[in-house]
Amino acid sequence: MLIMWRRSGESFLAGEVEIEILDARPDRVKLGITAPESCAIVRRETRITQQQNISAALSADASTIETLLRRFSQ
Amino acid sequence: MPYVQTRFFGELEYESESLFRFPSGLPGFEDHRNFVFLKKPGLEPLMFLQSVETRSLCFILLPIRAVDENFRMELTQDEIGEIGLSCERPPVIGEDILCAAMICAGDGNAPTANLMAPVVVNLHNNIGTQVIHPETGYSHRHPMTADAHPPC
Repeated sequence: MLIMWRRSGESFLAGEVEIEILDARPDRVKLGITAPESCAIVRRETRITQQQNISAALSADASTIETLLRRFSQ
Repeated sequence: MPYVQTRFFGELEYESESLFRFPSGLPGFEDHRNFVFLKKPGLEPLMFLQSVETRSLCFILLPIRAVDENFRMELTQDEIGEIGLSCERPPVIGEDILCAAMICAGDGNAPTANLMAPVVVNLHNNIGTQVIHPETGYSHRHPMTADAHPPC
């Protein structure tokens, strides 16, 4: 993993994407992202939830229902 | 009354109170906005979130407190506004809102519950959303172990 220090107002480039540190606070930072329209920018937790939901939809079947009911009848 | 084709229960008649609208869809399924919540005798506490438009799209959910009886989460002002809740007092689960966890069991794994991103529905207007709260520290793959649900 590449690690670098940046101050508020500084930026860096990742390929065609520029990320600027707009504000840095003890518990969070505010970023400004400039990217080509073709580049999807998504929060990591949103991507995780998308993947979990797709997986949940695919795995919703009779055996999952049976497994869950067994756990709740214990 | 309208009918819905369901993934697990064939064709069902449903009442308008069972129809829920998700204005932003659900992450990964942003184009699906209309769902019915189904509960079936003998299958409780499981709930089924069935797409009205797509028969094959049905999620299995559990009431959040059935997974973790101490579950706590604060909705942001944006989330409260998105589902049209009143800001006068914190919403009460079961009274103002339905709060449920998506269940996932991919690749033959034991089922897990997504406690990081519960489905929240305003029971006063049937508008819902899936909120994403990584700051709570709850797992998106909370194990459904036997002791997760204490004996009655």
